[in-house]
Amino acid sequence: MMAVVLAEILAGLGLLFFGLKTMASHLQSATGRRVRRLLRSATGSPLAGLLSGIVAGAASQSSNAVALICGNLVRGGVFTTRDAIPVVAGGNVGTAALVFVAAFDFRLVVLYLLALVGFGFHVKLDRQPAWKEWIWVALGLTLALLGLDFIKQGPRDLDVALIAGALEAGLSPWAGFLIGMVAAALCQSSSTPTILVLALMQARLLGLEDAFFIVLGANLGSGLATLVSSGELEGTGRQLCYVHILVKAIGCVLLLGAWLAVALAGGDPEAVLAAAGGSGGPQTAISVLFLVLQLAGAVPVALLRGVTEKIAVHLSPPSVEDDASRPRYIHHRAVEEASTALDLSEQEGARLLKLLPNLLPDLDRGAEDYSPEARDAFWKGSTAIIHALDLFLVDVIRAGATRESLDIALQQQAQLETIRALVDTVHDFTGLVEDFESVPPLVFNLSESLRTIVLSLADAADGGAVEDFDLLIHLTADRSEMLDRIRRALAASAPGAEADSRRLMLATSLFERAVWLVRRIAVALRPPAIEDTAPEGDPARQEAPAEARLPHAGTGPRVRSAHDVHAH
Amino acid sequence: MTSMHIDREQSGNDVLLKVVGRLDTPNAKPFEASLMEVVSQTTGGIIVNLSGVDYVSSSGLRALLVAGKSMRTGKRKLALTALQPQIREVFDISGFSSLFEIT
Repeated sequence: MMAVVLAEILAGLGLLFFGLKTMASHLQSATGRRVRRLLRSATGSPLAGLLSGIVAGAASQSSNAVALICGNLVRGGVFTTRDAIPVVAGGNVGTAALVFVAAFDFRLVVLYLLALVGFGFHVKLDRQPAWKEWIWVALGLTLALLGLDFIKQGPRDLDVALIAGALEAGLSPWAGFLIGMVAAALCQSSSTPTILVLALMQARLLGLEDAFFIVLGANLGSGLATLVSSGELEGTGRQLCYVHILVKAIGCVLLLGAWLAVALAGGDPEAVLAAAGGSGGPQTAISVLFLVLQLAGAVPVALLRGVTEKIAVHLSPPSVEDDASRPRYIHHRAVEEASTALDLSEQEGARLLKLLPNLLPDLDRGAEDYSPEARDAFWKGSTAIIHALDLFLVDVIRAGATRESLDIALQQQAQLETIRALVDTVHDFTGLVEDFESVPPLVFNLSESLRTIVLSLADAADGGAVEDFDLLIHLTADRSEMLDRIRRALAASAPGAEADSRRLMLATSLFERAVWLVRRIAVALRPPAIEDTAPEGDPARQEAPAEARLPHAGTGPRVRSAHDVHAH
Repeated sequence: MTSMHIDREQSGNDVLLKVVGRLDTPNAKPFEASLMEVVSQTTGGIIVNLSGVDYVSSSGLRALLVAGKSMRTGKRKLALTALQPQIREVFDISGFSSLFEIT
């Protein structure tokens, strides 16, 4: 019998987790832009932030997901940690929706919902653009609710008297608190253990007092679990984890204090809790407790966001990556005015190019150079800015730009793709250079040459004149013949050194690709010289590199392998 | 810091600079300053003899690039001579060989 009960509860948990994940991912696809807009509008006041967080938490049923989205928006410069605090706090309150649903008998609703979803798939709604994400959201919701029902029905066949006796003998408030903490840490959620508590209460295995301490433990446990699961996060990302823990901890302290205060005043805290459930009974009382627990933590954290921010920043100061991933020019409020927005995005793109030398090692400086970890943080930062810039340009285009602005926006998008390719190529090249225990002369020459070229690009992007771009275009002229010669020499290297040869060949290919991408960017950015506008044959017309007047074409040199060179 | 010498000689209208030492980060600034001093004080070409240079980093290359840009603007000649093979390879890879006259 026990095996059947366990299987039902585990199957229920499996369905719940899968349903919530399916719902969250398809909801994000269906409403991603609207959710971002909702969260952006949350910057007005703590109350607006709290309400937006509640909506986002209720929709995603994951306070971690809300914290993660906020972390990305903070790193993307859409809003500050201070703006994100009420949203993260509100996300916790929103998750109470599932606990409330679990307190009611919804079996019939689930069955009808399941039928509707099934019919929806049968009539191929999942292939219609307007419906395809929503039908999956509905399936996710149905499976999550079905999972909840399994969990609630599971314990009904247990030997109630036997287990109740064991629980009565062994479950002290602290044991309950500890069980809740461990369960929440395992599930990475406070609502799942609370739903299990509701199921056990339905089977009359748990009393209100036991449930109170388990729910409190689960609440604190899920906060601490966030800290453990965010082990690799630093800076701003971790700050929001501390905000999350603060919400949970303050809620626990206040509710535990209230319980003890009632007991010390000679009252019966269990009776007070039961009264909170009204006519809904003990299960509703626990749902109300869960909601009050979230509100008790969220409201002070949101309203005193200045103090919360100080605590979070003290516990996790901003990292190099945070600073590197924050756009300096683009801002979502600028989207409405296309020409200003495009000026800002152009400046942001130029800033990316100016940051590019940070991605390459300065082999000459040795120990004084940035560490590989710092360079990796700069790369992640650049990647985050590129992503933010990409979304910004899409927003500008969607906002309804003029034909001229649209052309510029599309050109900037194409340029951004080239910058993205260059950033990634330089990052790969750096990784290869750093892998060598002792840098070979060829790699030193490639690395210092690429550094010189990238520094020249950074100079030109920083308000450089036509001559700077012409010099850069000249400097990045085709050198495939010379590099092929080097590769052929490497291919003919002594037996036993093939592995090193392969790495050296890869370094030459990445170098060649990076140089080609720099040239492409230089050609695209080169401003037209006064001489360029003079008529053909006019002595004032200075010959600009031919490519500077040609549309971009081709995909550039591909990264070659040793096999290619042998075949050649 | 490894020291670096620059000997200067006048050859007709041109100036001949003989560099001995490493063109690395610490030496790049004084090297650039010496080159720019010659660029501003003279009107002819500049020939840099690099036979005594066995190491060039990105800082050294940039110093040459700054001087090369000024000379290009003034339509003057900046030539490099007597490069050691490993230095020639850096110049070929970086594209400097096509930017300067190398003999």
